[in-house]
Amino acid sequence: MNQTNLTKRPVNRLAAAMLTALLGAAALPSSADETCASPYMPRITGQEDFVYIWTLGVEGLGDEQDKLVTVDVNPKSAHYGKVVASLSVGGRNEAHHSDFTDDRKYLWAGGLDTNKIFVFDVHSDPAKPRLHKVITDFVAKSGGVVGPHSLYALPGRMLITGLSNSKDHGGRTAVVEYNSAGEYMATRWVPTDSDLQGAVKTGQFADGYNYDVRALPRRNLLLTSSFTGWSNYMMDFGKMLGDAEAMKRFGNTMVQWNLHTLQPQKVFDVPGAPLEIRCAWGSNHNYCFTSTALTSKIWLIYEDDQGQWQAKAVADIGDPAKIPLPVDISIASDDKTLWVNTFMDGKTRAFDISDPFNPKQVFEQKIGAQVNMVSSSWDGKRLYYTSSLLANWDKKGADNEQFLKGYAWDGKSLKQQFAIDFTGEKLGRAHQMRFGAYSLYNRQPSPAASAETGKL
Amino acid sequence: MNRQALTALLWLVATTAPAGAVDSPPGNAASGSIVGGYELPAIGLAADGRVLTADNRRKSLYELMGDKPVLLSFIYTTCSDAGGCPLATQVLHKISRRLQARPALQDQVRMLTLSFNPQHDTPQVMREYAASIDSGKLDWQFLTTASEQDLQPILDGYRQPVQKLYDSQGRFTGGYSHLLRVYLIDAGLKIRNIYSTDFLNADAVIRDIETLLAVPVPKTAAPAVAAVDRYRPGDDKSNYRQPDYRTRSVALAQRQGQAADLLAYAQSPPLGLPALPSPADNPPTSEKIALGRKLFYDRRLSLNNTFSCAMCHIPEQGFANNEMATAVGVEGRTVRRNAPTLYNVGYARLLFHDGRENSLEQQVWGPLLARNEMANPSIGFVVDKIRASADYRGLFEQAFHKPAGMETIGQALASYERTLNAADSAFDRWYFGKQAAALSAPAQKGYALFTGKAGCSACHGIQENYALFTDQQRHNTGIGYRQAIQPAGRKQRLQLAPGVFADVDGDVLRAVAAPRPGDLGYYEISQNPADRWAYKTPSLRNIALTAPYMHDGSLSTLEEVLQFYNQGGAANENLSPLLRPLHLNGQETAELLAFLESLTGGNVEKLVADGYAAPVGEAQ
Repeated sequence: MNQTNLTKRPVNRLAAAMLTALLGAAALPSSADETCASPYMPRITGQEDFVYIWTLGVEGLGDEQDKLVTVDVNPKSAHYGKVVASLSVGGRNEAHHSDFTDDRKYLWAGGLDTNKIFVFDVHSDPAKPRLHKVITDFVAKSGGVVGPHSLYALPGRMLITGLSNSKDHGGRTAVVEYNSAGEYMATRWVPTDSDLQGAVKTGQFADGYNYDVRALPRRNLLLTSSFTGWSNYMMDFGKMLGDAEAMKRFGNTMVQWNLHTLQPQKVFDVPGAPLEIRCAWGSNHNYCFTSTALTSKIWLIYEDDQGQWQAKAVADIGDPAKIPLPVDISIASDDKTLWVNTFMDGKTRAFDISDPFNPKQVFEQKIGAQVNMVSSSWDGKRLYYTSSLLANWDKKGADNEQFLKGYAWDGKSLKQQFAIDFTGEKLGRAHQMRFGAYSLYNRQPSPAASAETGKL
Repeated sequence: MNRQALTALLWLVATTAPAGAVDSPPGNAASGSIVGGYELPAIGLAADGRVLTADNRRKSLYELMGDKPVLLSFIYTTCSDAGGCPLATQVLHKISRRLQARPALQDQVRMLTLSFNPQHDTPQVMREYAASIDSGKLDWQFLTTASEQDLQPILDGYRQPVQKLYDSQGRFTGGYSHLLRVYLIDAGLKIRNIYSTDFLNADAVIRDIETLLAVPVPKTAAPAVAAVDRYRPGDDKSNYRQPDYRTRSVALAQRQGQAADLLAYAQSPPLGLPALPSPADNPPTSEKIALGRKLFYDRRLSLNNTFSCAMCHIPEQGFANNEMATAVGVEGRTVRRNAPTLYNVGYARLLFHDGRENSLEQQVWGPLLARNEMANPSIGFVVDKIRASADYRGLFEQAFHKPAGMETIGQALASYERTLNAADSAFDRWYFGKQAAALSAPAQKGYALFTGKAGCSACHGIQENYALFTDQQRHNTGIGYRQAIQPAGRKQRLQLAPGVFADVDGDVLRAVAAPRPGDLGYYEISQNPADRWAYKTPSLRNIALTAPYMHDGSLSTLEEVLQFYNQGGAANENLSPLLRPLHLNGQETAELLAFLESLTGGNVEKLVADGYAAPVGEAQ
């Protein structure tokens, strides 16, 4: 059967359901995680026990270095809403994103400045991660890729998007592959005009920039987006905004790759720094979203009737003329809601994306003086927010609030459940969040936890 | 599960419209891939281990691998999850059928299916399981292990997570939780792909097997980069302000060059430059230059291994940085001033924009130790780091007959920098080489203005036999004064994308901006109020390559620079008396621009190519 014929899909699902019933087995493993993680890894469908926050060290605060902060988020725990572990790793590395290996036993956390990748063991004791390994050869082995950003699990390996390079600290860069043991495998340069590597330049741009990566395996699709090089992401934000040359160095592209061969196929024009990519979960929802940081738009990357992938701007975020600076986005597992955070006004905004071509903002709420990341539980009932964008981009003075805040969402209102002041606790700048659960590892499963590990 | 039930299950799976993974990405997972046309980089070495064959023979896994590609899968026979082992077995069965339909392929592959339940899955059970599957002529072996002690190292070796499932009383249920994976292992025992249940696809697996067996399709060579593009900044942003901007980006993989005879540029500088002054205690040698070049591109020469000299003095960006007005250093720390070009720096009597240093040997320690540049905490830290790096072993001794130290590090870097002499420009060939046609007519008119009406040569001097285009003095042009005194704007125009701009409130920008550090020029050194905002006169050689301009990079283009001087600079109490409104018309500024653009050295490409060829030191 050829899945390009999507009308057959529901029949298959029905058959699958019948088969499941006949066999008396658990639900089919769905290619899913807590709404934005790699579909190749086990997911937590119930209550998460922990949030791991990859936190930037701040000069003059506590021990001044980057750390992985573990917060207990199980409401049944005596430590609910409290920091239960903090693991300092040495140096300020521009801690940014982190993600798990496909077995979800290890959390890889990248440093955009020093190019180190810290590998944490989160399975031996999910309440107290330990530093398992530090990868220090990323630039040397990759042939000069700088700024390990997204860490995305494929079976047995990690795809790591670079943001920059060691030759000019600009935006031309690559996707780098490491195996799950932490050994370098390959470098895949993002296509540029002088070598499109067989990809089609569909518009005006092929800048070779990179940011996030997501896969839609059933469509053999891998997508990358584009941000800016080291020079800009490390520069003081105000200084950069005032620098006309620096402002020309932002990505305006997304690249469609063949997931199977990891070869680039198409370069799309998506002007204004498209950042996070979130692909829909529905079995016939062949599309992904991104938001552009500078131009403040939601873009849809979708497969058209001819099976061709296209990119289209589908909504504005706030008033683009005021540069609200959309940052992290999070898609609900039912593909009906897209959360969009805007850094400058500290707001989270919910868009109804039932019609992906016409997202409509249906809710907004201020989270803090600044807000960056948002992470949702699989059921969409719990949302977590952190504050830091980049060490030198965060607001200055009193507006430099640093926090993790947990919220409950009932579809209409967002109610704060707990908040941790990362400056008050002398921790640092709170950035990427990832969830942990005992039940992923059959360890001390707390009664409320219900994690699925693709039981077979 | 008894054999009958198993057979029934397999029949069911095989005949029911398949769910999810079986065909789900089909046609699609392998679409666009050409056999041999893509790479399957080795993921790692396949692990060995002790196994039992279905006919109860002890073997090592390596005895069953290494002669041809192997597809290794892990199952347990009582597995009943529709999305699990039966699904995998069905896909493997489909693969086996397809392989058998290809006689050329079927003998070249082996399939191994290993149980992770040695307790239940004895060789006898595996034999029955095998019998329930019609594997035809394909070499498909069903394996188990003698014990969990034999099994565990194999599971660990393949990072195959498996957990026994227990009931509430702590009893083993007979079920397992695991991430199903299938491994493609080449004849060299390297794992070349791993497939997980949801995405196990027969087409993709067969395409991969064929790719392992095929002669690799030669990679289509990237189109050659024209010389004109090869040595310019690879991320070209000219015309970026316009909506019709198009990228002309160059692949970093094509940033290739070859070493130049650098000593020759020191010993006989190109046309238009005088003899190179070099200190009596540091005459240039090839060894010193090579060592200095290695140091110059070594990113380990910073506190956190992120900065070499070349991160701010980028060869194809005029040995300066075209991508920002003022520099940033370690951890993105703000530097107040624009990274100056290093072309012809060997002739400079004043170093740094304020001219506070007087020899290159000493100057190099400024950036090395500045907290907002390379941030090395001490001289000793740098010396020890170099001495501890194996790749520097013997190099200082060879060049200087003594080890790395404060003096020799400075001498080596200075020796390299003194070779970056770029002249023999169109102007030089016309003016000093007496080639009448070497300089365009507008540039010749520009020369007349430069030395006449515009008065540029009063500071950017041209001598009889050579030209450095600098008086080696400091002047106040008002550019620093203007920056220090002008009030912050209420709105600021930002570029968001090609042709897209927004006027943003100053308050919004100030919320994310650290206070701008002050800059008073040479006054900071002399403490004499008369020296406020005085900066040295830069050479104008290769000026077309070193945008943005002025000590603070505040002028983006040479047109803006000419406009600034045409207005007479920015009035202030210490303004150089040499500055006055020039009353140049549009044509005259165009001619001056043509002249400035004629000052690009004829050997620039060779120096850039040499920079490309230099090794880049990285932390390992």
